[in-house]
Amino acid sequence: MQIRKPDPSYRLGVDIGGTFTDLVIIDEASGAVRVGKLLTTPKDPAQGVETGVVRLLEEMGVAPRAVGSLIHGTTLATNALIERKGARTGLITTRGFRDALEIGREGRYDMYDLFIDPPAPLAPRHLRREVDERLLADGSVKTPLDEGAARQVVSELLAEGVEGVAVCLLHAYRNPAHELRLGKLLREMAPSLPVSSSSGVVPEIREYERASTTVANVYVMPLMARYVEDLERKLADLGIGGQLYIMLSSGGIALPEMAKRVPIRLVESGPAAGALAAARAARLAGEPRLLSFDMGGTTAKACVIDGGEPLVAREFEVARADRFKKGSGLPIRVPVIEMIEIGAGGGSVARVDRLGLLKVGPDSAGADPGPACYALGGREPTVTDADLLLGYLDPDFFLGGLMRLDVEAARRAVAERVAAPLGLDLTEAAWGIHRVVNENMAAAARIHGIERGKDLRAYPLFAFGGAGPVHAWEIGKILKVPCVLLPFGAGAISAFGLLTAPLAFDFVRTAPQQLDQAQWEGVNRLYVEMEAEGRRILAAAGVTGSAVGIRRTAEMRYVGQGHEVEVPVPLGPLGRESLETLTQNFETAYRALYGRTAQGVAIEALNWRLVVSGPPYEIRMEGGGVRATTGGRPDALKRRRSAYFAEAGEFIETPVYDRYRLAPGATIEGPAIVEERESTAVIGPGGRVRVDESLMLRVELPR
Amino acid sequence: MGEASEGAVEAPFDVVMDPVTLEVCWNRLIGIVNEQAAALQRTSFTSVVREAGDLSAGVFDRRGWMVAQAVTGTPGHINSMALAQRHFLAAYPLERLRPGDVLITNDPWKTSGHLNDVTISTPIFRGEECVAFFASTCHAIDIGGHVLSAEAREVYEEGLFIPIMKLYEAGKPNETLTSLIRANTRAPEMVLGDFHAQIAGGNVGGQRLLEFMDEFGLERLEPLADEIIGRTERAMRESIAGLRPGAYEYAITSDGFDEPITIKARCEVKGDELWIDYAGSSHASRRGINVVMNYTLAYTTYGVKVIVSPDVPNNEGAFRPVRITAPEGSILNVKHPAPVAARHVVGHFLPHVVAGALSQALPDSVMAEGAANIWGVQVAGKDLAGRPFTYIFFTSGGTGARATKDGLSSTAFPSGVLGTPAEVIESLSPLLIEKKELRSGSGGAGKYRGGLGQTIQFRVRTREPFVCSILCDRTRTPAQGFFGGLPGATGQVLINGRPPANPKAEQVLSPDAVVEIRLPGGGGYGRPEARDPELARRDLREGYVAARLDRPGGRP
Repeated sequence: MQIRKPDPSYRLGVDIGGTFTDLVIIDEASGAVRVGKLLTTPKDPAQGVETGVVRLLEEMGVAPRAVGSLIHGTTLATNALIERKGARTGLITTRGFRDALEIGREGRYDMYDLFIDPPAPLAPRHLRREVDERLLADGSVKTPLDEGAARQVVSELLAEGVEGVAVCLLHAYRNPAHELRLGKLLREMAPSLPVSSSSGVVPEIREYERASTTVANVYVMPLMARYVEDLERKLADLGIGGQLYIMLSSGGIALPEMAKRVPIRLVESGPAAGALAAARAARLAGEPRLLSFDMGGTTAKACVIDGGEPLVAREFEVARADRFKKGSGLPIRVPVIEMIEIGAGGGSVARVDRLGLLKVGPDSAGADPGPACYALGGREPTVTDADLLLGYLDPDFFLGGLMRLDVEAARRAVAERVAAPLGLDLTEAAWGIHRVVNENMAAAARIHGIERGKDLRAYPLFAFGGAGPVHAWEIGKILKVPCVLLPFGAGAISAFGLLTAPLAFDFVRTAPQQLDQAQWEGVNRLYVEMEAEGRRILAAAGVTGSAVGIRRTAEMRYVGQGHEVEVPVPLGPLGRESLETLTQNFETAYRALYGRTAQGVAIEALNWRLVVSGPPYEIRMEGGGVRATTGGRPDALKRRRSAYFAEAGEFIETPVYDRYRLAPGATIEGPAIVEERESTAVIGPGGRVRVDESLMLRVELPR
Repeated sequence: MGEASEGAVEAPFDVVMDPVTLEVCWNRLIGIVNEQAAALQRTSFTSVVREAGDLSAGVFDRRGWMVAQAVTGTPGHINSMALAQRHFLAAYPLERLRPGDVLITNDPWKTSGHLNDVTISTPIFRGEECVAFFASTCHAIDIGGHVLSAEAREVYEEGLFIPIMKLYEAGKPNETLTSLIRANTRAPEMVLGDFHAQIAGGNVGGQRLLEFMDEFGLERLEPLADEIIGRTERAMRESIAGLRPGAYEYAITSDGFDEPITIKARCEVKGDELWIDYAGSSHASRRGINVVMNYTLAYTTYGVKVIVSPDVPNNEGAFRPVRITAPEGSILNVKHPAPVAARHVVGHFLPHVVAGALSQALPDSVMAEGAANIWGVQVAGKDLAGRPFTYIFFTSGGTGARATKDGLSSTAFPSGVLGTPAEVIESLSPLLIEKKELRSGSGGAGKYRGGLGQTIQFRVRTREPFVCSILCDRTRTPAQGFFGGLPGATGQVLINGRPPANPKAEQVLSPDAVVEIRLPGGGGYGRPEARDPELARRDLREGYVAARLDRPGGRP
């Protein structure tokens, strides 16, 4: 038994996903960890959180007041956007531009499909109104705001029964004055109405993307505000006095106030937490780089970790009309951990196409009816059915025995829909499904890598999610990665990630400047503003003084180019003397990406960015932790079963190990299967496994 | 011919023929060309390639047959690049190629129809033997001559013409050619930069291909190619055989440069082949809106594919069952040295003509006529500080209605080139965009309504007269509806509220001039009386159709 400190010393992570709510609690003093999982309660998500927290605290024997902080990730905002269950949202724009939101980029996301549709705008045309005002591209006022007419426009929107209003005026990223004035006016006329201005949410050039982001923010505001308030109340009622933090899509965490004001920054925070867990594992394992690979029931997500940090993108899409097609969703310009998502999961359906070839996914049998072997009425063969037939999954130990799998149903589905039409035997068909889905995932990951200038052959594969460890061996071979890392508790990795997120928030201001003739006073003013705002937010969370980390970057390009490169900006006031450093930083970053620089072309900066952050939380799980609750018995071999390996070309008797009995330092030779409750790891012949201090399986592939 | 029957290399491929390995290999090839395209875009020096996606990339076997293409790109490039590789091989047969060679051309007749599109092809060697080619086509930002317009009278005026040549010979750059190019373009750094990007893409693709061939023990690509192409061809033939047999005709009238142009097609379903002939189309124009046969083939096969077999991959096999002919000397098969710079103005109509003909055979799979060509607005003059500027942006009208849905408003079809945000235009040029809005009522009525065009109004912040040239069409003849659908609105160009004599001609305008372009809407599909009343109400509520004041509920 550990001696517990009386002070609040527990950190609690709660991740609400589409199907499951995952919880994880850690004793910061001892490193002891406990994981919980329960079904998400979609009608009242805070209810599920409350139930789960109560249960976990009881199991752990922890008093509510001992919880020092609770970090929360949720897909609520994303779901509201996908299901179109947000507020009735109005939009106010500059005269002549109310349709920017609907015209968009004027492209088609699939060149060969005549029947595609772009997603309908969240603010329909009759709720989009225009005001007379105009700024020029340099931020100067060409036409002042006509306040009388603006009041009229606001009254009209209120009469239409809007539940929130977004304001997006042309060039407001350069000068927010008119947007601020309109915001004030809206507050006067409708004090309780949720309102966002584009300069407040995403002060960046490009009116369509900025309007899309601002409108989406307002669209989820009422819902998120209600939810966060409800959750705060429930936690207070439980006697949890610790601070509630909300996970952002950028990988930082923020106070609940942020979730109410800029809820759009929460979308995709669940997958972000998974990537953070991978980043943490990378740091712990002394690997500066990793390919994080999360394969669940419907999709697989891959994310590149470099220098112990996941890559952060500036834009992504939400609510895609076609989930896996770029350009079919609503563009959202907020910082988000960059990952690729593909339609490859345990539920992905296998079928024979018109050309007589085997295709797997992107459509999924989902959880209902699910794979044929779930015996819930699904008749189509899926990846899980194939994995079962290949001997990788134990029909009696799926989800730790919670669910029995029907081998006969799987056999029938694969035989009828794949083996027979292709003229293959059952094993060839099952192996074909396994192989094709692995190829799909490897191909997507490889493109993701090369689009960012990364050669994945230098990146260990960090695999988690229910199906990740089943497929990691083959994917690792296809990608020729140096090794495969299989973390302990693969089913609740995202919740672990929440615990490691630093308190962080980022700011951006657009102020185009050609470096050799820049107006530095203006840039310095922006940085002072952003830093003050950031410090204010951190101070509210008790992080002050030297504990505050500041990082500054700028998006730069050669004059005339269309894409920018993110470049580090030194701290302190900038001036003419900064030119050399900034030029060097730009050229270094540019060369790393493109392998060359252009000579004699001026450099310009478009956006100036600043990130404030608190100290990172390095949670310690070693020592007591997991081992204390799972034991470390020497004989981890459960049994043997017959499993198929391409290296052998046949089924071979394969030892099956109990993950909970594998202590640090243990070694295993492939072929082997390692089972834990929520996932199964498959290691092929020639593989060498070592269990490391954090109970992660380190799998070396044969060269 | 000979390669396929070389017995020695046949044996290992028995393995490939199992459908799973074939699927895996094919996937790998597609992955490899996507890597080629990603590397190209990542290293490109121009936003045309990076953002607007004006490029294509693909892998070819030793016979010059396209086996796989990257998912990115625009149709006019992809299919014409597919044809270009044969011309490369004709000029440089395998025995004249060495490791380190890189081939280049922008011959409009052998590639994609105007000098701005440069195709680069890299032969890939496995040991001493050439096993494949990686080719790509990119839009060069400037190729000398006239700036991109229809004004020229011969291709000689349109810029630098690069016949098929070696840009690299055994790894050594062709300095003579490079100097010539450098001296003949207004933006040498960007143009040569993008050549390097194309070569980089080819290198990445080639390296990955060799690794792939090693991993799977492939000596040659052809047996795999035959299998892929053969299956594609069979699927394509099956699709065509499912069409109602017969010959179907359709014609479209384009504004032309100074006189209307007829584009006429006859599509005949002959068993499992489709024969398309453009006899009856207008004679070549004296201005640069002429189309070379390669470009005609590219947009015709695209037009067939989206209707007949959108689910079949795009490779050599998909082209074979479609035979396309156009009379020599017609606007769709011009001879050198006709001017061709603005060939897309006419070329973009081709998928619509094909749709009109095939609508009689496959009514549920077509899109009614749409705005068709993408409009280009080019403005040149001096800004308020007296500095010269030139700026070009592209924009689109509405597509035709579909058999089950309304058309897409302000969306490019068949082109894949995107629009530019007003804020970006105003940041990069002295243009002031005063309005960019959907054009209410411009979509042709029908059971399904045509997509709306858009209205863009701008002026220039200048003290001096400026030049404005608008590459436009459909200002005289609207996009027709199908099956009782009504036509969309015609396009309009207004200078200070009045239409100029010839909207395509270069206009010299006073500093305070206001330019307004109204892009055409798409045609409707099915009779307007059959429209779902709910959709009709929505159209009124959202102002997609003009409210009628004599009707209750109509807003002024």
